[in-house]
Amino acid sequence: MFRYIVRRILQMIPTVLGVILITFILFNVVGGSPASMTLGKHVSPQALEEFDEQRGFNKPLFAGWWTKTRALADADFRGAINPWRAVEGAEHRPGGDGALVLSPGTNAVLPLAFALRPETKYRLMLEYRQPEGATASVSFPNIGKKSLEFSATADKSRHWKKVELDFQTLEKTTAADVQLEVEEGALELRRVTLRRRMKNPFDSQLLFYFRQLARLDFGMSSSLNQPVSRLLRDGIVPSLMLTVPIFLAELLVAISIALLCAFFRDTLVDRLFVVTSVALMSINYLVWIVAGQYFMGFRWGWFPVWGFASWRYLLLPVFIGTISGLGASVRFYRTIMLDEMYKDYVRTAFAKGVSRYGVLFRHVLKNAMIPIATNIVIAIPFLYTGSLLLESFFGIPGLGYLGVNAINSSDVDVVRAIVLIGSILFVVANLMTDICYAWLDPRVKLG
Amino acid sequence: MRDQKSDVRSRDAGAGAHGRSLWADAWAQLRRRPLVMACFWVIVAYVVMALYGETVYRWARWKDLTPKYQEQNLDEQYMPPGFVRVAQRLDQSEKEAGSPQRSLVQDLIYRPLGTDGLGRDVFLRLVQGTRIAFYVGIITSLIAIPIGVVLGLMAGYFGGRTDDIIVWLYSTFASIPGLLFILAIAMVVGRGLQGVYFGIGLTTWVGLCRLIRGEVIKHKSRAYVLAARALGLGHTRIMFRHILPNVFHIVIVTFTLRFPAAIGTEVFMSFLGIGVVGEPSWGVMISNARLRLWHGVWWEMAFVTLAIFGIVLAFNLLGDALRDALDPRLRTGE
Repeated sequence: MFRYIVRRILQMIPTVLGVILITFILFNVVGGSPASMTLGKHVSPQALEEFDEQRGFNKPLFAGWWTKTRALADADFRGAINPWRAVEGAEHRPGGDGALVLSPGTNAVLPLAFALRPETKYRLMLEYRQPEGATASVSFPNIGKKSLEFSATADKSRHWKKVELDFQTLEKTTAADVQLEVEEGALELRRVTLRRRMKNPFDSQLLFYFRQLARLDFGMSSSLNQPVSRLLRDGIVPSLMLTVPIFLAELLVAISIALLCAFFRDTLVDRLFVVTSVALMSINYLVWIVAGQYFMGFRWGWFPVWGFASWRYLLLPVFIGTISGLGASVRFYRTIMLDEMYKDYVRTAFAKGVSRYGVLFRHVLKNAMIPIATNIVIAIPFLYTGSLLLESFFGIPGLGYLGVNAINSSDVDVVRAIVLIGSILFVVANLMTDICYAWLDPRVKLG
Repeated sequence: MRDQKSDVRSRDAGAGAHGRSLWADAWAQLRRRPLVMACFWVIVAYVVMALYGETVYRWARWKDLTPKYQEQNLDEQYMPPGFVRVAQRLDQSEKEAGSPQRSLVQDLIYRPLGTDGLGRDVFLRLVQGTRIAFYVGIITSLIAIPIGVVLGLMAGYFGGRTDDIIVWLYSTFASIPGLLFILAIAMVVGRGLQGVYFGIGLTTWVGLCRLIRGEVIKHKSRAYVLAARALGLGHTRIMFRHILPNVFHIVIVTFTLRFPAAIGTEVFMSFLGIGVVGEPSWGVMISNARLRLWHGVWWEMAFVTLAIFGIVLAFNLLGDALRDALDPRLRTGE
């Protein structure tokens, strides 16, 4: 038994890692840095960079030496808009063969949004073209005389060329640290990118995420300015107060109706229940909420409509939650019961002369408990996430409400934490079911 | 239950004539059930509505016009449905009404389901909602079903390491809470229909994948697959040309049952402000109508609800019937 449990726990690890990886891919790789979404559009790049630094978004995704910096946005001059409007003496030519043309004698300062980090290695990548015999250089006046020359050879003057220039900043840096000096012949620039070199290539966003999780730190909510772990702690009690009664009520009612269906199987009563449950399933959840709120809360005034002041406020959402899920669960439990009804031991029991009640309650219900129990255990983790819609409609400050608000305000850390914890609870619940199975039925261990 | 024709056929079957295929058999079974046929015709009606909506939408885009369903008319805010107005007119004495602009029948047809707060025709918007619902149902299926089918086939057919990886992938996806996952994907991908498509499409392939995998494992050792392998056919060909047709009923049943679920989820998402923006989808309409409901404007809410209820019920009943007809064993796999 012990060995079985250990084996199952080991099998659980890849799934947990998978969930972590999926949330990482979703929010970091696909979503990218949420800085501009959270801070708004009119924020300095410096503020964005600080936001990224705090949340590890300015590191490479998985691993690597080079990472983007917000000091200089990647510039491609083929676009219609000149990204370097501020640079004097430069002429922008949009189009497929577009470029930024720097005339001879210009000394253009690279439009860095803020001073580069001190004592850090950077790499400047230029895609450029020069006429024959022209010379230009990139100089770092405050750093020293270090200047890199590049000039075109005669035969390749019509082709675009790429050059990578590495440099290291000093203790003090300013925003005018990098200059382009054009001595002779116009310099055409097509693309300019600046990359920062990491001290450690494995210091990535993924590692940052794992470290954060190892500290059980779920980050900060950007819209509420509170640690996510505290929001989760505050939200879980109202959520459970809503979902646990719904869960229990639904279980009780659904199993009773399913037993009734099994008892009256293939009669009008059974068919009526089946059709009703399909009809119940087909009514949208939203409609239950809106109609319930309107009629029972507003029109007839049976329940308070919105808020979370006393237990009375929970009655209506619990009722709506129960009835909206009833259709599907009745069908599910009925199928389970009917599956059992056609088994041999039921026929034997009938043949022995056991009454219908006896067969139903003593034989069928007992055997149907195994799939029912599985379903119950699997449903438990979902109690935790609360009910997204019910909570936001009835103003219950639980995790569902938190989640909906977080999604609406693009609060990545909160959404990620709820998704992650919900999934891990699900995995753990699965483990519990399997262990219970093994305990009840020793054959499982061998499988 | 067999009619004479099929009796004759089955007698012939011994002599090499072919019997009814699985599909013909299922169709014959469905034909006998009036409720199922009613559902089928309801769905056809919705399809016609959606096609009409699509034509109107394309036409307006092509001509660069404001489509009828977006036209605002502030003189006709909150106009009750046609039949309500007619009933009111019949109630009132003829003298009070003065000279009506329209005859009773015209009034019945004019704005048949009333107008909303901006004087837009609810009926036309409802038709557009049908169009969007079908888009959601079809495109999410086009994302989810290929993923589920290909991964399920590969996992079941190759087994071993491939199977391990795919099972790992789907158990990971299955353990993430559904609706929240969908909303998170939509949040990351960007709001609007595209978020809805990806959110629903990328999360709902798991069930299908699991079913197909289970079924393929059973089929793998059957004689026809062994024969195909003995003939030296390639793996891809065996998987897609030999095994897939034999498990395709699962795909059909899954499609009919996931269609209403996708529609329901879209309504949710649009309602929460993460789904459709600017187009009259059902969720957007419910969310608009909700606040006006408190002022006694019931028609928009009621008709949208009915429209959703109708299509979801029809698909659910049809899906159940199809499942019973094609493969009753799938029932327990709920």
